[in-house]
Amino acid sequence: MKRAWRWPLAGFVLGGLVGATLLTVNIVGTGRAGAPPAASPTFGEILHTPPLLAARGEPLTLTFGVVCGMTKDEPGGVCSPSGSLYVRSAGESDFSPLALGPAPDGELSAAVPVTLTQGDGFDYYVEVDNGRGERATLPEGAANAPQHVWVVDGSANVDLEGPVAGAARAPERILARAAWGKGAGELGLDSGREQARIGPSAFDVAPDGSVVVLDQVNHRLAYFKGGRPSRRVQIDFAGGEGDLAIGRGGTVYVLDDGGSSSEPIVRALDPGGSLLAGAALAEPTADMLRVGPDGPVVHGYPSEQWFPTGSGRTALSPGRQVVLGRPDRATSVDTSVVVHASPEEARFALVDGERVEQSWFVRSSSRLGEVQMAEPFGTGLLVVLRLWNESRAQFRVLQLTPTGLASGFAVDRAEWAESASLSRFRLHGNKLYQLRSAPSGTTIAAFEIGGKIR
Amino acid sequence: MRTRVKLLALLPGLVGGLTLAVLALGAPAGAFHTNFTGGCNDYWANTSPVMRATARNYAWVAAAEGYQWGGGCWNDNNRDDSPGDPPQNPYTRGEGPDCSGFTFKSWYERAETGDPWFRYHGWAQNTHGPYTAGDFKVGAGAANITVARANTMFMDAFASTNHIGMIYWANTAYNQDRIIEAKCEACGTGTWPRTYRGNPDYSGVRRLNWDS
Repeated sequence: MKRAWRWPLAGFVLGGLVGATLLTVNIVGTGRAGAPPAASPTFGEILHTPPLLAARGEPLTLTFGVVCGMTKDEPGGVCSPSGSLYVRSAGESDFSPLALGPAPDGELSAAVPVTLTQGDGFDYYVEVDNGRGERATLPEGAANAPQHVWVVDGSANVDLEGPVAGAARAPERILARAAWGKGAGELGLDSGREQARIGPSAFDVAPDGSVVVLDQVNHRLAYFKGGRPSRRVQIDFAGGEGDLAIGRGGTVYVLDDGGSSSEPIVRALDPGGSLLAGAALAEPTADMLRVGPDGPVVHGYPSEQWFPTGSGRTALSPGRQVVLGRPDRATSVDTSVVVHASPEEARFALVDGERVEQSWFVRSSSRLGEVQMAEPFGTGLLVVLRLWNESRAQFRVLQLTPTGLASGFAVDRAEWAESASLSRFRLHGNKLYQLRSAPSGTTIAAFEIGGKIR
Repeated sequence: MRTRVKLLALLPGLVGGLTLAVLALGAPAGAFHTNFTGGCNDYWANTSPVMRATARNYAWVAAAEGYQWGGGCWNDNNRDDSPGDPPQNPYTRGEGPDCSGFTFKSWYERAETGDPWFRYHGWAQNTHGPYTAGDFKVGAGAANITVARANTMFMDAFASTNHIGMIYWANTAYNQDRIIEAKCEACGTGTWPRTYRGNPDYSGVRRLNWDS
């Protein structure tokens, strides 16, 4: 009897030891990995808003913030950055350095010689030493892919009048409607106390007229046809938010911000949802994904340049993206859109290379918010921007023609849940689409726009 | 044949021992996942007022780290060491702050709500502070006031009843603000261009007494 228990007892002890060992490695080992390690110095980040569009002769001062991080987990964490601004007139090959001087709040700045805004525009990049012996340039492509400022003459001036909360136009059609949830026909909501309230990030319209919603909370694409849910396609999605754009031929491009568990990436999917390619991004932050004449482009930070990521099965490497970065967004082979807005004025231009074809300066008695959309339309642009005061906000749709504002209307902000910050609107043909959210769920609404399609 | 009998006798014991070990030691692992906070500490030090730029440097360390509801401890390895924790659960012991805890630490605030002065909280100090996003939204605490959103600048914040994020860089080319925030479990903590400034659901909030 005693011998009969020997082997089961040995097994019991062995099993206990194996289990304890595995779990100890899992818990303690991971705990060690997660414990704060020794600090690893990194450059940090150069912060800057490119002016992009300057009136002829306008004085410009370029300002740069420098985030240098901390090398130790203890009070201090200050650094003394310095650097140079490199500028050249449009058409020149060589850059000239200008020393960056101290500006308020620890920033660096340099006044641009007025001769540069009296000419045909200029290129620039900045090189900064963070005071710890680490250097970086912005844009990262430096002289190979510099920032550019277009000089504009004779812009059409548009003055917006009326209250922020004027009568909003009701949508002509609702193309998709879904309650919050995980089930069929529902769209995911990530919400709770002490966090953002996040709904579907983005949407677009497929060549067959289907509305495709990036339901990233549920890790899927949700298709709607004829106002009804038609199918769902599971996708890989690591982050919290992203963007979506559909190319000619129906290729679906999805920007995944990666969250805190992976790098941002653009995935190309065939209409059936199969992965064609994945391109890691050149910059750590991105907010817009659009499809241009050569495929998808992503608006990245800190440079605020547009980077091609590769069309279809082609995925461009981050290094390749860096040298192809540009400050304008190509919308056709020979036309690009340039946008720069501030609370006081929003500037828009259609450009062909370094030549400005048309430009508009939009002002308002209300404060201007973000530019949600600026797309070629008719003989000019269709723009959606926010007007706001401390208690109200509204989107304003503007049809800009060479002489100014042809028409416009107000749209409810309908932003109960977050989406990608600049992906609430899409323009296809003469229809403007809006991603709207409310406590009851999400809708995709359509508005008819007048005028000829370019 | 004899070896086979021994192995058959060993097997039930092996399964039993393994099961017992998993039940005895595995339950905490399931509840605490990575147990990231097991490596945290309680390091803090009162300091004189700091500049906004210093606070931004501090906050940037948490970018690309995790989000933890009710949490307040992170490192600087640029990844979430405890991804996928169930949200809204303060006992998951994961890496990262939540939005209000991140603001409290990044603003060098003191836990004593009547004290408006500065305190350095180690990244690895597992503390959240006394304020929710809703508290910040109304300017609760001696260190905090509400300001018009139109008048905010970098390292001021925008707060709603459920969320708060600080201005990392104001007014981008598309006239958004780059916000640094602990956003959600899948998002982690990081910087994102956002449109909170023009959204009436948010209030402008300022920490007082920055060094200039």
